[in-house]
Amino acid sequence: MTYFFVFFWTAMIFGSIAWFAALLFYVGAKGGREIVKLRRDLRERNDKGPPA
Amino acid sequence: MTLSLIDILIVGLYLLVCMGAGLWMRRFVRGVEDFAVAGREMDLNLGIASLAATELGLVTVMYTAQLGYEKGFAGATVGVLMAGAMYFVGRTGFVIGPLRRSGVMTIPELFQQRFGTQVRWLAGLFVVLGGVLNMGVFLRVGGEFLVHVTGLPVYWLELIMIGLLAIVLLYTVLGGMLSVLVTDYLQFLIMSVGLVITSMLVIRDIGWNTLMGQLWMSWDGTRADGARLASHPFNPFHPTSLGWGYLLWQALFQVAVVTTWQTQITRVLCAKNEETAKSMYRRASFYFVGRFALPVLFGAAAFAYFASHGGLASGLDSRTAMPAYLAAILPAGILGLVIAAMLAAEMSTDSGYLLTWATVIYNDLLMPCFKKPPAPRTRLLLTRLLVCAIGVFLVFYGLLYELKGNVWDYLAVTGNIYLASVFTLLVAALYWPRANRYGACAALVLGAIGPLTFLIVNARVDAAHQIAPEIAGASSFALAFLGMFAGSWLGSSRAVARASS
Repeated sequence: MTYFFVFFWTAMIFGSIAWFAALLFYVGAKGGREIVKLRRDLRERNDKGPPA
Repeated sequence: MTLSLIDILIVGLYLLVCMGAGLWMRRFVRGVEDFAVAGREMDLNLGIASLAATELGLVTVMYTAQLGYEKGFAGATVGVLMAGAMYFVGRTGFVIGPLRRSGVMTIPELFQQRFGTQVRWLAGLFVVLGGVLNMGVFLRVGGEFLVHVTGLPVYWLELIMIGLLAIVLLYTVLGGMLSVLVTDYLQFLIMSVGLVITSMLVIRDIGWNTLMGQLWMSWDGTRADGARLASHPFNPFHPTSLGWGYLLWQALFQVAVVTTWQTQITRVLCAKNEETAKSMYRRASFYFVGRFALPVLFGAAAFAYFASHGGLASGLDSRTAMPAYLAAILPAGILGLVIAAMLAAEMSTDSGYLLTWATVIYNDLLMPCFKKPPAPRTRLLLTRLLVCAIGVFLVFYGLLYELKGNVWDYLAVTGNIYLASVFTLLVAALYWPRANRYGACAALVLGAIGPLTFLIVNARVDAAHQIAPEIAGASSFALAFLGMFAGSWLGSSRAVARASS
């Protein structure tokens, strides 16, 4: 049983490091673009006039 | 002090960039909807970054490292349960689907539609009570990390706490959720870099096989230096580790967290639509394994390190061992990066939490009291003042409350004050047509009894007579469900009796 848990935690730790690194690049690139789009959308909305 | 000039420059640069980015968004705020839920313009990847950054604070790193120090890798099981709960909810849309479709800004607002204003107000009170008490220890625990990792004198703790909070307050008060989203994104990036680099350096420093071997020998008592680990380091089901009772409570608790915890639900409510919210949950789920597993690695490595260096130095305990260990092994430059990463973790969590609890106070405690809704500018000013007020409260609570025992148990039990009851209300409101306001009131009151008893009794009695957290936590879920069923049944019988008379 202990061997199973040793294997399990080894997979979880190295899997987490790999997942964090992958998310860093993927979310980093796409999230940056979404911030630019968010600002553009908000600017266009605010240019249209005050809220009803 | 263990910091070099390059470390100080990295930390200073990070703080400047972060504050600048937060202030950059303030001019787009034109109402409470922008301030509280970013105008519901949040897209998928920004949502993942914000959710990940908010839910991984410096306090998270500290309490999970403490679990790793005391319980080895088995301490990370809570993260596995949370990831499972996130994936399940993201896959099925359980609670979050109908919640996002309802268009509300907070969870108690939904209760008004189903149970009336009084239940909304009472639920808001419980949400704020549980949430703010929960957040009360963030600053102190975060300050402890910084003091021990930088080697600064202990009296700096209060100054560091106040300084950090002042920066967070500045951009949160001005830019609200729009600033929080952008700073969360930056903080997610730097936090991920810091955690990945630290994990690799820790494994390189101690060696993976050596760490596993040392933990095992500490458990079975074959270490030459006599260091002992009281809990099984790998098997969470073992009676000396977390055990079945604790894990069953945590499985239910984590489903409640991912569907009810207001800071997490705020990201669901900010999302552009229901599918974005569900997709965000599914893709972020495995992140929550690492959220626990990586700090547990640091804590377990700190245990092995200090065990082979003659034990903990005076002034250190299971909570502060990890920062002291990192200060000992990380080289100059990397240490600065790691501190910036941990500051990022702290600031993103603080800003998200401040904003969330202020929104609940404004939306669910104050707004129902106004006969005529105030002007939009007044509403915005009111919400901003509430963010500041919570900030001031946190400083005083953080300074006065002395945290005894395990940080995770404190957080889980204070969160449980509202999680059990609000989760019951939410599930009943969305999926049980016979639920009524009598059941809702009974669930709210009964669900809070377990955690409040835990807090009061455990603050007064010695360790041998304290209530176990799983007993307090599980009983609050059972009482809340019982209250909902019994109250709704009695309430409907009373209504029938009144109608027939």
